[in-house]
Amino acid sequence: MTTIHVPRPPKSSMNPNRPASSLLLTQVEQMHAAEKRLPLRYRTDIYINAIRTEREAARYIREVTEAIHQAHADAARSRLQRTPKRTRTLQIAAAADEKPAPVRTIKRASKKENSKTRPKK
Amino acid sequence: MANGSAPGLDGLRHIVVLMMENRSFDHMLGSLSADDPRIDGITSALSNPDTTGAKVNAQPLAEFQGQLDPDPDHHFPAVDLQIFGGDTSDNRTANMSGFVKSYFNQRRDVQHSQKIMYYFPKEKLPVLTTLATEFAVFNRWFASIPGPTICNRAFAHYGTSFGRVDMNLVYINEPFKSIYSRLINASPKHTSKLYYYDVASSTMEIVNLLQNQPELFGTFDQFLGDCSKGQLPDYSFIEPNYSDHDTDSGEELANDQHPDHNVQAGEMYIAQVYMAIKRNPALWASTALLVVYDEHGGIYDHVVPPACQADQFTATANDTGTGREFKFDRLGVRVPAVLISPWIQKGTVVDRTFDHASIPATVTKFFMGDYAPRSPREKNADVFLEPNTQLVDSNRNLLSLTSMRNDCPEFDV
Repeated sequence: MTTIHVPRPPKSSMNPNRPASSLLLTQVEQMHAAEKRLPLRYRTDIYINAIRTEREAARYIREVTEAIHQAHADAARSRLQRTPKRTRTLQIAAAADEKPAPVRTIKRASKKENSKTRPKK
Repeated sequence: MANGSAPGLDGLRHIVVLMMENRSFDHMLGSLSADDPRIDGITSALSNPDTTGAKVNAQPLAEFQGQLDPDPDHHFPAVDLQIFGGDTSDNRTANMSGFVKSYFNQRRDVQHSQKIMYYFPKEKLPVLTTLATEFAVFNRWFASIPGPTICNRAFAHYGTSFGRVDMNLVYINEPFKSIYSRLINASPKHTSKLYYYDVASSTMEIVNLLQNQPELFGTFDQFLGDCSKGQLPDYSFIEPNYSDHDTDSGEELANDQHPDHNVQAGEMYIAQVYMAIKRNPALWASTALLVVYDEHGGIYDHVVPPACQADQFTATANDTGTGREFKFDRLGVRVPAVLISPWIQKGTVVDRTFDHASIPATVTKFFMGDYAPRSPREKNADVFLEPNTQLVDSNRNLLSLTSMRNDCPEFDV
């Protein structure tokens, strides 16, 4: 069995200040489209038209990717919490006499509170 | 059709696809034809005219970085120029003669435009050329569309780009489902994952999936962990790192090989994916890895892309930017593609025609058998792995060995 040496790229290859390519800027725009569908509390405060470099593009992409995962994780958690732990028989019996539940208002968390729930970067 | 003994297929449990960025076949693997004439590669006799009319020959002078800056144009109108040489008549013939002219449009520099004809000598790409010569290299794997990244990558996930030939967001047009949705909703269920490099690189073309089904995604670190723990899904799609960026623990170098990112970083990445599978003996025996590039990135290749089955979508003349509509009835420029498994005969060269629609076509057929609905393009795409549930044509089965090889190379990554 032959072991083949793979040359490492030089350190000088690294240039996060390189202007973001049209591919990367397209990715930013597509992430922005996804971000606009997130609830407000998950959105970034990054102005995408001002993104110029790979580092800036990557920072924005990271924030939106994490926010999407977080929003889905929070939704899954809240779905679990809302599931009543009653048997099927009891549910049907209870539903017969049940009055419509009052509409609950969900208090939107402030941006400051939410920043604590987001993963550390 | 013969019912040949196919223990490689019988034991195949995992298909892994690694899709790199923007390099043509001739640019990366073309030099291999000097050693093996079965490989349809490049010679210095091949040429393109520059804007002065002078002949520019292909040369083995490609560099890892700093040569293709600015990024060569590979949007639909530019690729049309590259393929047809600027002929816009109705009865034109594809001749692959417009690459230098197209690159000239980027910088208006005749000398610089000639670099689009440069290719790598095999010694400079020890990972990709070794894999190509040790396993199966495809002579005719083409991008799905003569256009840019996003629409081409869409074919790898959906078997269609839903009519797009550009970089705009692909809006999923039911009833065509992603290969991932097909697998996880199948009965019996299959497992599937898209591994992006990290959250700062994320996914390039499938934001629609990320925002609706984030549970399908993992990181490259998770891929490495899944390999070592033997928990790789049935089907995995791996994306490279698309940017130089900072992380909590340091810096990450782009390894997608998109110009002007360092090509050696991509070589390292391909080797890491290969070795992650190879280091787990059970996984190595039961996995087929496809390394393929999404499109040619505007870089020279000499093989004329063939006509193909039209898709059910049509891009308007306005969408294509060429004054002509496009029915998705011609493939894009040829790209490097290598299939890896210890059940593949060393030095296999595949001459059948493939494009990225072959990826969902193969994965669907292998794990699920018949499936509907699929796009016309996907239904007509050839498959590179045969299902192990039916008679296997020994002439088409690439995992043809009756016993597993133990001479496969390793890389020091």
